Amino acid sequence: MRVGIACPYTWDVPGGVQSHVRDLAEHLLALGHEVSVLSPVDDPDRADLPPWVVPAGRAVPIPYNGSVARLVFGPLSLARARRWVREGEFDVLHVHEPTVPSVSMLACMAATGPMVATFHTATARSRALQVFGTALQPVLEKVSGRIAVSPAARRVVVEHLGGDAVLIPNGVDVARFDGAAPLPGRPAGPTVVFLGRIDEGRKGLAVLLEALPELVHLVPDVRLLVAGPGDVDDVRAAVPRSLRDRVELLGLVEPEDKPRVFASGSVYCAPNTHGESFGIVLVEAMAAGTPVVASDLEAFRRVLQGGRAGVLVPVRDPGALAGALGDLLLDEPRRRALARVARAAVERYDWQTVTAQVVAVYETVLAAVPPTAHVEVDADLEVLAALLEDGEEDDAGRVLTTLRRWIAERPRRDRVPAPR
Amino acid sequence: MLAVLLLALATLYVTWTAGRLDRLHARVDAAWAALDAQLVRRASAARAVASALPPGPQREALEQAARATLEVGFAGREAVENDLSRALRAAVPLLPRGDALQELESASTRVGLARSFHNAAVRDARVVRLRRIPRALRLAGHRSMPEYFEIDDTTVPH
Repeated sequence: MRVGIACPYTWDVPGGVQSHVRDLAEHLLALGHEVSVLSPVDDPDRADLPPWVVPAGRAVPIPYNGSVARLVFGPLSLARARRWVREGEFDVLHVHEPTVPSVSMLACMAATGPMVATFHTATARSRALQVFGTALQPVLEKVSGRIAVSPAARRVVVEHLGGDAVLIPNGVDVARFDGAAPLPGRPAGPTVVFLGRIDEGRKGLAVLLEALPELVHLVPDVRLLVAGPGDVDDVRAAVPRSLRDRVELLGLVEPEDKPRVFASGSVYCAPNTHGESFGIVLVEAMAAGTPVVASDLEAFRRVLQGGRAGVLVPVRDPGALAGALGDLLLDEPRRRALARVARAAVERYDWQTVTAQVVAVYETVLAAVPPTAHVEVDADLEVLAALLEDGEEDDAGRVLTTLRRWIAERPRRDRVPAPR
Repeated sequence: MLAVLLLALATLYVTWTAGRLDRLHARVDAAWAALDAQLVRRASAARAVASALPPGPQREALEQAARATLEVGFAGREAVENDLSRALRAAVPLLPRGDALQELESASTRVGLARSFHNAAVRDARVVRLRRIPRALRLAGHRSMPEYFEIDDTTVPH
């Protein structure tokens, strides 16, 4: 099947939606489907840009939904999106976050065929959606299959856009993380890993840094390994001078190094404060076998199975965070037990499982195209009857008659479908 | 001058809404066709697994329920599909694992997907149809109001 995927955020910048799109595309390709991804790209000449990514221009940074989103919008981008849709001749168009003013929304405006949309955002009160929800309705009602990546994201869809969405969780390449080796040349000893944008408040690095003095008090030889893009100097300035040598700042890590970053930690810490719809990093850490200490957010509670597969701590509470990290760092059997439960819990998030579910959605949406001619319908009926012919002979005949009657009863029987 | 402009805008709005309603109805029809196809697929999968059951009341009930869904028209469809779901829920724990059960699981999942998409399409169409202006001007033409399809489609415990 030919699948067109629209990704609203800049391809070059790491982010949850971008990696979701990349992994989905790769797994669809592996299953033998044809895939083209339309996405904003800052540097279209970069060597590692996959051949199936079609650049939609440079993005402009705009504060959105508590983060800085990099978006493209405007007549030029619309023209590009339109050309991509036309030249792609996709069987199904899969737009991600079509409510974000970027290429997904543009592709949605430009396209007419079978369309699937995935909603990632879980922000309960999205101002943009409140303002533009009604105005977006005519664009969004072209979408015939809606997917939400989490119950929280699904609630946003129901509340702001009306109507339901099917739940398909984010995917993780479990095999890529399973059994990764630690980064080379790192000192041994208890290590807490943080991975995420370090300059984005809701990722909660500030809470972890605030917990550091007390954690050092509990576990004197503890080290902190911080990976993620952002201003490293700002972070260093936020750490008391005496503790600076314990904090190792890796900056932006390449996706292929992520498993090794997790494997370098005794514990992975996700001190996020709000706005998480899913918690894919948690699943990755769990797949890598690193026990997780995370804020008690709804999305995280779900991934950690209510605390069975990881430790949940109160949100924005440095004291509780230090305590939980200290306890776990000093208790190796418990770390091992948590890692074991976590490894079993991530199976349902494996991309192979998830891709099969997404393909089922594509097939369902593809089945929902108006029949083109009665002759073809009749041919389909013969095929169907043949399939049903495992019963007695008159059974198949009766099924055929019944189906014919249904077709005749359908309200659209008098309408001639437009040629596609 | 102003009146002409307003009239032009009103005409534009009405034409656009009529076109939009047309698209929405087409989406409902298509979604129903898909749901219909998945329900038929589920019924035929149910018949296949029924033949794997030992002869007896359980098998007869399942075969009867599957047959009933193929014989009913649109009215009454929800009730017989619910009966089939119920019969399947009773039968599934007794079934051997294998291709037939897998096909049933796959068909049941797709019934769930198709039903969700169908009802979303119905909702989108109803929202526009029930607005004051489209209703007053009968922009939906002679088409009947799209109806939700509500059944309990869980058949296989997860």
